[in-house]
Amino acid sequence: MTVKAKVGVIGVSIMPRVMDDRRSLEELLFEVTRQALHNAGLTIEDIDGIVVAGNDQYDGRAISVMAASGSVGGVDRDILSTPSAGEHAFVMGALRVASGLYRTQLVVAWSPTEVGSMSEAQRLAADPYFHRRLPLDELSTHALQASAMLAAVPGLEAMAEKIVAKNRGNGAHAYPDLASGELAVAPQRWPLPAGMAMAPVAGAVALVLASPDYVSEHSSDVAWISGMGWATEPGFLGDRDLAQAPALQAAAEQAYKAAEITDPGTSFEVAELSDATPFQELLAYEALGLAPRATWSERVADGSFGANGKLPVNLSGGSLTLNPVFCTGLIRIAEVAQQVLGRAGAHQKAGVRTGLAHAASGPAMQYQTVVVLRRGEQGAAS
Amino acid sequence: MSGRVGIIGIGQSAFRSRRDDASYPDLVREATTLALNDAKLDLDGIEAVVYSLSPDAMVGIGNAERVGVDAVGARNKRFLRINTGGATGISSVAAAYYHVAAGACDVVLTAGADKVGECGDSQTVLNKIWDPTYERQLPLGTINMLAMSAVRYMHKYGMTEEDMARVVVKNRSQAAKNPNAHLRRETTIEEVFASRYISWPIKLFDCCPQSSGGCAMVLASESYIKERNLDAVWITGVGHCSETYYIGDRMGTGFTADHADAYALSRCFARSYKMAGITEPRKQVHVAELYAPFSNTEFHSIEAAGLADPGQAPAMLREGDFQLGGAIPVNASGGVLCTNAIAVTAMVRVAEVALQVWGRAGGHQAQGARVGIASGNGGDHQFFGTIVVEA
Amino acid sequence: MELLKRQETWNITYTHALGETASWFFVQLRDHAKLYGKRDAKSGRVLVPPRAFSDQTLEPTTDWVEVGPGGKIETFSIVYEEFNGLPPPPYAFGYVQLDNADTAIGGFFKGVDLTDPKAASEKLRIGTRVVTKFAEKRTGDVLDFWFEPV
Repeated sequence: MTVKAKVGVIGVSIMPRVMDDRRSLEELLFEVTRQALHNAGLTIEDIDGIVVAGNDQYDGRAISVMAASGSVGGVDRDILSTPSAGEHAFVMGALRVASGLYRTQLVVAWSPTEVGSMSEAQRLAADPYFHRRLPLDELSTHALQASAMLAAVPGLEAMAEKIVAKNRGNGAHAYPDLASGELAVAPQRWPLPAGMAMAPVAGAVALVLASPDYVSEHSSDVAWISGMGWATEPGFLGDRDLAQAPALQAAAEQAYKAAEITDPGTSFEVAELSDATPFQELLAYEALGLAPRATWSERVADGSFGANGKLPVNLSGGSLTLNPVFCTGLIRIAEVAQQVLGRAGAHQKAGVRTGLAHAASGPAMQYQTVVVLRRGEQGAAS
Repeated sequence: MSGRVGIIGIGQSAFRSRRDDASYPDLVREATTLALNDAKLDLDGIEAVVYSLSPDAMVGIGNAERVGVDAVGARNKRFLRINTGGATGISSVAAAYYHVAAGACDVVLTAGADKVGECGDSQTVLNKIWDPTYERQLPLGTINMLAMSAVRYMHKYGMTEEDMARVVVKNRSQAAKNPNAHLRRETTIEEVFASRYISWPIKLFDCCPQSSGGCAMVLASESYIKERNLDAVWITGVGHCSETYYIGDRMGTGFTADHADAYALSRCFARSYKMAGITEPRKQVHVAELYAPFSNTEFHSIEAAGLADPGQAPAMLREGDFQLGGAIPVNASGGVLCTNAIAVTAMVRVAEVALQVWGRAGGHQAQGARVGIASGNGGDHQFFGTIVVEA
Repeated sequence: MELLKRQETWNITYTHALGETASWFFVQLRDHAKLYGKRDAKSGRVLVPPRAFSDQTLEPTTDWVEVGPGGKIETFSIVYEEFNGLPPPPYAFGYVQLDNADTAIGGFFKGVDLTDPKAASEKLRIGTRVVTKFAEKRTGDVLDFWFEPV
């Protein structure tokens, strides 16, 4: 994206797992908002506009943004919602700042677990014309994708297991309190064995975006968006080759062009990739230009993408550790922003200058978003 | 910000109660094709799509934008969906505007459709917009929510049921001139009064219909338009503003917004007027399409737009100021009162003022219109969007 | 040609956490037939129903304030149309500013003959004093109480 004005991330709050009933959804969003504003060093009065994303069927509210609006400071402010994906709220917020019409934007997404059956809620997204009678929840679509990939690439099961171990290992380090305990694994869908995907947890995430003049006036630490791309796959699974990710390639192309990245394999110190299943992380390696499938086996074996590898992928543990379904995409972006800002805490990598975030949402990664973040001059990484 | 954003193509269905000949994505495609034809573009010319869709439950498909991807030709392209309830359509145009204004794209499509007629329980769905803690156990729906605004507006300014009926008569007579409108039969004050009460003081004829159909628009950068010497009208003002979710907070003591009025809509107009350089709307605005699904809400919308002082809209409407041929025609298309396909209703407002300032509104053209305003309302009278369009 | 249709129903169950603030309010209502609001310290307004924070000031609310049982009508509607899943018409409901509260809470109006809309609307006009009545068997939701004109 070549934009008129640069856009920076100056504040982040991630609640990757919320474990109690002390708060209603509205109160949870109030809390994540206050944390993000505090992290950015500003108050709601400094916020020009807000973009949020929730899923009506997960929330049990017919227009989710209505209940959320008051919690995130929407009263008397300009608020939009992008229910297609959490990361789309980030895209919209960034476009608004880039237009020069806004100095700041607050971006929030959330994913509760108050629905009796997440699977049932997801199956409503199958169109009533051809697909509603099929058991198409999101995990089933991820299984279909895994199945397509297994047929295309020999020896994939072993690689998938290694990626699960890598991400869970990272997760235990990054979020020891949240990643331990009675975390449930998602039910089995062949060829995904039990344990290869996590059951949904409740979570929320918020980011504060700002324009260059705001950043310089307030001397904010900043992670600049140097490239951003987003694209979608078609709606019907039958129209796709699930072992390929053309929309992710398109999104990466947009982002890399803007960020002037010609060799993605050597351009980043850290990456967060969507990993509803380990197969999706593998597919992302290729579509993002990090490793073609012919090299997967070798790169997974040599630990290139491990915590101490050349390009650590999912130091946060990814969704294979904590899976607040609807905000996992935006969390990937938020995790990279924290790394670039030097605020990632336990899982901070030293000296991160440039990070890559890949956010995927929907059936078998229908929506693909890629964001490249670079440390600002004022940005101090620990 | 350098470089304006223009509208180069508009498509809308002829709205009807039902469209059994077309599935939901078929309707989106219908509007998309009409808009692309109008812009003399094919799908390859579109760089990004903003999908306009309000509650999923209304079309009965969760994340129904996913099945609309192919209808708008978005495969491997930039695509996202906007939802601000009833304001979704105007918010989608604004979102498309930001794509171009940011310099991210030169040509952006926004499109959507609704089949409200297929939802057997729209007020049941709409009850679920209220919070499950304090309000959902009450029989709240969009009709009685706005009936309660009417009650407060009557109490505050003395509006009568006859004033409300005059809005219906005006808009129906204007819809009769618009081939895309859903309710096109003219009516009389007597007929409005003879229709049954739904939620006092709102009668059946004071209510919008449940419509099926789609709308789409193509927006482009000024450089793209100039280089190709295209015909366009220009978006010169964009604004959004919201008020509290809780209707009960818009009354009592010490409140900011009164549920009688449309406080956030007036704030929203202030933002888009400032951007467009409009300081005296009554002199500078020639035509308005204001989101008003029930007759009474047209009055406070007119006032929020600065076209009448608070409480004065009923008298001015009685004098004919807001009808076609009057000082500032409001809802020359017949408005939401005659056509409401929720996902695109607020987009139709922008499309209609664009056609007006373009001089392409046909039978319901307001003569000499060069500057038009559009508004959209969503949630429980909570989210408001406004756009200024100029020739 | 033959055009087909298909009927589909959505029926999903949710278990919503009400949070500490609403839980306390509903327990007082259920067990003691009392209504409370919560004060926004910054604006001084007592929010009824109580919210954990004010959406105007974005500050957490502080102390509890008992409100009602008297109050005045702020707005109302009388519904004459039948809707799926809603009570049989006619019924009246609306918002009441309870004594000591600064905002209005929604509830049903009872004790008014609704047969004639005009006459009923006069009985419920804005500013009319009402008193809160409580159900004998209370479950802890807003249907545990209603309002009647004094």
